[in-house]
Amino acid sequence: MGDVVNLRQMLHWGLGLAVAVLLLVSLRPRPAAVVVGPPQEVVTSNPLVGVHTRLTDEVEEWKIQRTLEMVREMGAPWIVEFFPWAYIERRPGEFDWTHSDLVVEHACAQGLTVIARMGWVPDWARPAAPGQETTFTTLDPEHYGDFAAFVGAFVERYRGLVDHVIIWNEPNLSFEWGYRPVDAAAYTALLQAVYPAAHAANPDVVVLAGALAPTLEPAGSPVGLSDLEYLEGMYEAGAAPAFDALAVHAYGLGFPPEADPAVDVINFRRAELLRAVMEAHGDGDKPVYVTEAGWNDHPRWARAVRPAQRVAYTVGAYEWARDHWPWCRCVAMWAFRFPAPLHNYQDYYAFVTADFRPRPVYEAVQEATRR
Amino acid sequence: MRGLGVRTLRRSLLALLLVALVGAGCGGADRVWSRVWETGVLRVGMDASFPPFEAVDAEGNLVGFDVELAREIAARLGAAADGDGGDGVQVEFVANLPYDGLYDALTAGRVDAVISALYLDPARTADFAYSRPYFDAGQVLVVGARGEDITGVADLAGRTLAVEFGSQGDVEARTWTGRLGGLVVVPCESAREALASVGAAEADAALVDHLSALQWIGAGADARIVGDPVTDEPYAVAVRRDSWQLLQAIESALEAMEADGTMDRLRQHWLQAMP
Repeated sequence: MGDVVNLRQMLHWGLGLAVAVLLLVSLRPRPAAVVVGPPQEVVTSNPLVGVHTRLTDEVEEWKIQRTLEMVREMGAPWIVEFFPWAYIERRPGEFDWTHSDLVVEHACAQGLTVIARMGWVPDWARPAAPGQETTFTTLDPEHYGDFAAFVGAFVERYRGLVDHVIIWNEPNLSFEWGYRPVDAAAYTALLQAVYPAAHAANPDVVVLAGALAPTLEPAGSPVGLSDLEYLEGMYEAGAAPAFDALAVHAYGLGFPPEADPAVDVINFRRAELLRAVMEAHGDGDKPVYVTEAGWNDHPRWARAVRPAQRVAYTVGAYEWARDHWPWCRCVAMWAFRFPAPLHNYQDYYAFVTADFRPRPVYEAVQEATRR
Repeated sequence: MRGLGVRTLRRSLLALLLVALVGAGCGGADRVWSRVWETGVLRVGMDASFPPFEAVDAEGNLVGFDVELAREIAARLGAAADGDGGDGVQVEFVANLPYDGLYDALTAGRVDAVISALYLDPARTADFAYSRPYFDAGQVLVVGARGEDITGVADLAGRTLAVEFGSQGDVEARTWTGRLGGLVVVPCESAREALASVGAAEADAALVDHLSALQWIGAGADARIVGDPVTDEPYAVAVRRDSWQLLQAIESALEAMEADGTMDRLRQHWLQAMP
């Protein structure tokens, strides 16, 4: 009997709680409505200027819009943005485009050209290794087809809005290849799986390969392999017909943008050495897109420069690419803004702070693109 | 029958709750800790590009605060393991990891712990666990003779504040100019220059990162840190979330190091000496 009474009391309490929750939800302020607005145009004196945005983890729509507005206002017509497979296809064949739709819609409204970076493997497509987790960068050949199908679905959905896709990121680093030994032939097989799927969905799509990390690691290193050697390996494995353009990462480290390139040096013009590898393999007709680059001005990081140097080098790099690299379509600097401070040297790559305060480099680039 | 059902339901829920609590508290067997005990090796990941915490010296040796910290922790884990401080646990450094790959190295089992001036990131606590912070690298206010009466940010109205151009301190100071009447922000080439302007009585205060302030004061400057840190950037040791026994052992080691003065010695040697 006592239990029956308790059950009744519990039901009453439950009902009361439900009513209270409903009341609170109805009183909660609604999120601010965001109006996409009329189409804008980027005004710039340098059509190569771009930035890598980091809207992947940006939740609020107004922040997505404000970020892209500030990119346009800086005079940058290009953005590179990451669209993680694991976020969009959480279950095989079920796509959630909510967030990617927001980013693409706002970017296009601001007059920006989007280069989409593709990667980040969902749980269901990762190897089930007993006793040891795998990372989001682990993809085995048996799931290459699944990734190709995802890229095809993405390209088809955003046909005419997003016509550039980068396949994977820095596969010449072990941690970007599932903490396994890097493998140019395996990456080439991935490209060969993706390329036809992307072009079947949109014949005009530009499939970008590489996005290799600039590194001097020798063969056999557990960390990775030199980008130059890795690109050679890709060509040897037959990658040429499986991409339309090369994505290049051109970090300057401590060197100014005009510093001469050399095989044993990492600097901005290392891009020219990658270009030479392309030409040596008869791929000189294909363009290059610099999809990551830049200088860091952290006060203490060993690979940083002083803030004033960063300003001069960044502006100089955009100008160098425009004046000396006819094969280059854009230079997207890492990284425009992070959704939240990272509290490490990465924050000192940003052009604006998480709360939208422009850093000196933003103002300098804006001034340069208005000249 | 219904009464019996409710009682059974209650008991089942209670049992489930207990299982969940025990599971959450202990997380099952800690395989990483077992491996450390069996092999006598603690694998520590770091990005050795951040002096004075971790760097490679001219002779190719790994040096820095975090390097010594890792060795001290391992020695204490060894003492705990042997009971008599015998052979102990050796550190195997995986020091050429890029910062972006540190957490993945934990996930993939390449390292047992990350000790690399790593910010204690609340957004990552679903997958990783952190020790107590061992250093706060945030921005602090430094005053010299000219700013003797300044005790905190509120006293900066009408005063001159030196910052490193483009730094986090610069960004904070620019915000303050809107609400602190008469505050003049002087951008300098480096944190050291900002501090030097305090030393030369050209500025009332400097807003710089904690490490720069410690190094400046450690070099004998007539200056002091005032007020609470303006921003917090706690550094801590990170392990996988299921490495709960390893984390407990690291916690005990850090606590002992604070108590016996080891941590102070390390801070003094690595963080208060001018590079």
